[in-house]
Amino acid sequence: MKLTDQSSQQYRRLWWFASRGLAAVAAVLLIAAVIGAPSGLQNLFNGLAIGGVYAIFALGYTLIFSILRIINFAHGAIFTLGAYFTYFLTGAAVGFNGLLANQKLPFGLPFPLAMIGGGILAGLCGIFIERVAFRPLRNKGADPLLTLVSSLGVAVAIVNIIQLLVGAEIYSYPRNPFGEMPAALNLGNFGGLTARPIIIRTIQVIIFGVSMVTVVLLTYFINGTKTGKALRAVAEDATTSSLLGINTNRLILITFFLSGLVGGIAGTLVGLSVNVSGPYFGINFGLKGLAVIVLGGLGDIPGAVVGGLVIGVAESFVPSEYVAYKEAIAFAVLFVVLLLRPQGLLGRVVVQKV
Amino acid sequence: MSAEIMLEARNMTRRFGGLYAVDNVSFEVQRGEIFGLIGPNGAGKTTLFNLITGMTPPTHGELVYKGENITAKRPHEIAMRGIARTFQNIRLFGSLSALENVMIARHIHTKSGVIEGVLGLRPAPQEERATRQRALELLDLVGLADSAETKARNFAYGDQRRLEIARALSLEPELLLLDEPAAGMNQSEKSSLSEFIRRIREQFNLTIVLIEHYVPLVMGLCDRIAVLNFGQLIALGAPEKVQNDPAVIEAYLGD
Repeated sequence: MKLTDQSSQQYRRLWWFASRGLAAVAAVLLIAAVIGAPSGLQNLFNGLAIGGVYAIFALGYTLIFSILRIINFAHGAIFTLGAYFTYFLTGAAVGFNGLLANQKLPFGLPFPLAMIGGGILAGLCGIFIERVAFRPLRNKGADPLLTLVSSLGVAVAIVNIIQLLVGAEIYSYPRNPFGEMPAALNLGNFGGLTARPIIIRTIQVIIFGVSMVTVVLLTYFINGTKTGKALRAVAEDATTSSLLGINTNRLILITFFLSGLVGGIAGTLVGLSVNVSGPYFGINFGLKGLAVIVLGGLGDIPGAVVGGLVIGVAESFVPSEYVAYKEAIAFAVLFVVLLLRPQGLLGRVVVQKV
Repeated sequence: MSAEIMLEARNMTRRFGGLYAVDNVSFEVQRGEIFGLIGPNGAGKTTLFNLITGMTPPTHGELVYKGENITAKRPHEIAMRGIARTFQNIRLFGSLSALENVMIARHIHTKSGVIEGVLGLRPAPQEERATRQRALELLDLVGLADSAETKARNFAYGDQRRLEIARALSLEPELLLLDEPAAGMNQSEKSSLSEFIRRIREQFNLTIVLIEHYVPLVMGLCDRIAVLNFGQLIALGAPEKVQNDPAVIEAYLGD
């Protein structure tokens, strides 16, 4: 018994080193290819910026999935809501269509505060969705598939309510949301390493920075706080957690709040980079977020971050003449990875309990 | 015995479809006693535990704990009133360390609200230290203090059982429900288990209800024993009385 244990352990350790070694070699080759390719580094930086947003958006799915084993299809709509909330909190006026045409708040927040406020409001919407679309079904012991359909219904309702209230037009954020700053940074051409000088938009730096700060804070919350530990316990076994005095419904509410918060911030960041393009703003993003979490491994937090960055970078390497196929790239990457690793990049093989 | 009644089950019934898993069961558990629950497989013992802890709502019947009706309460509310349990098929948080497993339950005694939860405010350091200290003491009590940082899934079976008891104790319960604590233990572990259960009853002023198949343990340890068969209570009383009860003998021999 002891012997086989030992040898299987040795085998596992060997496999661990071999697989990590292969991954490292692949990473080095990839980095070399990136630097060698024309405008490779430029693409890499562009990809990391958008990938960071993919990552925090996907974390919203991951949080809820790890607790309830359900995909919240309303997450794309929350993303849209976050972008709108931030827009209105800056004190900007509603457009010409919709019931609230030409209305605006009597005050305007500076952009960073508006972004946080938009995230918090999106988080509260997350709580509302849990109370309306998830908890009643859960209490009745409904099949998870029904809850999924229910969340899809909420997504459609939100999109329609947005359209009804504020119309379907494009909303642009203020020009210099973070005060006067140069529009872009010129990093030069790294001493001839790249053919053209690398230029990074200030917005991209901000987006990436905010995303990474969000990831770090969330990771700290989950691993370093009491509530975070209770969340991990509920994710592993909700019934046992409740028998230890943990109010699981309260923790589920907290999870939905956090999920809405990161979703709303992601919406604002993307709105900052492009524009808020109407009520359907979050639909495509919602689908891409699904690709990210499946790629990274369902329910795995580092997996969502890695998946987001990988898809962001992969997309940014699509040559400009094929830009129409950009969306397809995310799913092509997903397809290839799943063929090789059905459990996702960082996912573990789940042994089904009988 | 004119002791205080800790737990009273009145006409507890749980039906699953056409099957009466627990059928009109009434009994009282007195403060400080060790109350055994025995019966053939499928007799409804674990379902009864699930009813007491609020995991399964009863079809009929009432549960009164220390004079309070807890029938419609949710599991965490019942847990916070001081009822803790272990499981027949161990249910530890496998990916959490032994210490974290024990500290999870301690957290209900260090209150924090939703706002603090969301903001991730840390409890005062001395409070956190006290929680940790208490958790380590409990691990020490079950002999696992040396492996406090080991993940729960990496423990041997018997150690997992003991860790589960430590986790239940960390809730500071007054009523402890043990579901087959001796299952999977070897002979020497089994023989020290009786001693251990008596010791924790003294040390923590516990009332204990235990489900057990291992007859010598039940007979030697329990003050009173209830026998379930096909969901019905067929005997209740002192071990020697129950042992000689014709209905009990019939239930076991006819199994």
